[in-house]
Amino acid sequence: MDQNIKQQLDVIVSRIDQLPPLPEVATKVINMVNNPDVSFKQVAQEIAKNQAMTTNILKLCNSAYFSKGKEITSIDRAIVTLGLKEVKDIVMLVAAKPVLMKPVIGYDLGQGELWKQGLAVATMSRDIALAKKRKELADVVFTGGIIHNVGKVVIALFVQQAFKQILDMVMSQNMPFHIAEKEVMGYNHQEIGEKILEKWNFPPVLRSIVRFYQDPEISPEEHRLEVSIVHIANAICLMSGVGIGSDGLYHEIKDAAIKKTGLTQSDLEALYGKTPDILKQIRDLQ
Amino acid sequence: MSEIITVGVAQIRYSSSPAVLRTILGSCVGICIYDKVKKIGGMAHVLLPVNQKGTLNPEKYADTAIPMLVKELIKEGAKKENLSAKITGGASMFKFGSNIALGQIGDRNIEQTKLELRKLDIAILVEDVGGNLGRVIDFYLEDGRMKVKAGGQEKIYYKV
Repeated sequence: MDQNIKQQLDVIVSRIDQLPPLPEVATKVINMVNNPDVSFKQVAQEIAKNQAMTTNILKLCNSAYFSKGKEITSIDRAIVTLGLKEVKDIVMLVAAKPVLMKPVIGYDLGQGELWKQGLAVATMSRDIALAKKRKELADVVFTGGIIHNVGKVVIALFVQQAFKQILDMVMSQNMPFHIAEKEVMGYNHQEIGEKILEKWNFPPVLRSIVRFYQDPEISPEEHRLEVSIVHIANAICLMSGVGIGSDGLYHEIKDAAIKKTGLTQSDLEALYGKTPDILKQIRDLQ
Repeated sequence: MSEIITVGVAQIRYSSSPAVLRTILGSCVGICIYDKVKKIGGMAHVLLPVNQKGTLNPEKYADTAIPMLVKELIKEGAKKENLSAKITGGASMFKFGSNIALGQIGDRNIEQTKLELRKLDIAILVEDVGGNLGRVIDFYLEDGRMKVKAGGQEKIYYKV
């Protein structure tokens, strides 16, 4: 293990100010939506306090991706027309974009590629939840899909230093990339991502998605379906080349996740075949 | 700088010297076809091997995209007898469950691509295929060379 890198990462994860920030409104909204005692009026007021974000949120409400036809000019109208969960997803998109737009050098992803991959994984995850008649999970796996890779933003610089060592270990020990990341640097991007979500005070299911999206079989039982959905969507998007970086396809698709979701062989191939449509859909969110 | 044309998933693009065609591949296969006399070339980025539903989105499948690309190139003035191909991509997921047929989609794409090129009697001069790495491809129409970047390393294939 590279002790120098590990020590630097020890410092980063122990110091909250070294991790990327998120506008407070996003954390508030995400937790308010999960609280049955909070009315939609309160959520709307919370969002409207942030003028800059409100403008961007309304823009997305009227994008081809989310629009239901009628023009939306206020957060109140947005919640009535699109629903509270949809508006929460939009708040997340606006809040997370600046964090995820950055180039992630160590993984060889240019500016916007991590963001694009998050959008594609989010959209495919939502499609899986809807296809499996689990509408109630659609917004969670959407948000999870957006941010599943967030740890890469922080760890990329170290991956750049350690890339040869990591890839050598992948080859010589026949291990997936994220396991080798941890062997070489003491941390992998999933663990760093979990720390970021702790800082953001995000709900446990999202932390599980970020932490276990490559290892759904060891995620907490109560979140395993959500984690499995994002696992599959991520794998399929990478296979189709969306957001594929220097870690390539040194990852797994796990039987346990397929079984958990109940997706069939032809479902998987159909999802893979749908990636060009998904890329078209997300174009106006990029 | 020459013009760089991005070839998206399930797209065909063609142009002439000195344009550069660029794409990013995972399990998809990139087929670069070049007329070295006319310096006209094109790339197909295919996602799946066989178009089972007929004409819907022909650019997505090896068995419909490759003949379509050749036809377009000939329409642009290329001569069939001058054409040669370089193929790349078709990577697989590192590990996948034994029940997951999608894991082999890269291999199936490569196989179908070779079959289609053989049917059209177009020689494959370069194969940089398989494995587990993603690839960034630049296809230079000034001389038909193909640059493949994978896992931080670059290879250039000059054969035309």
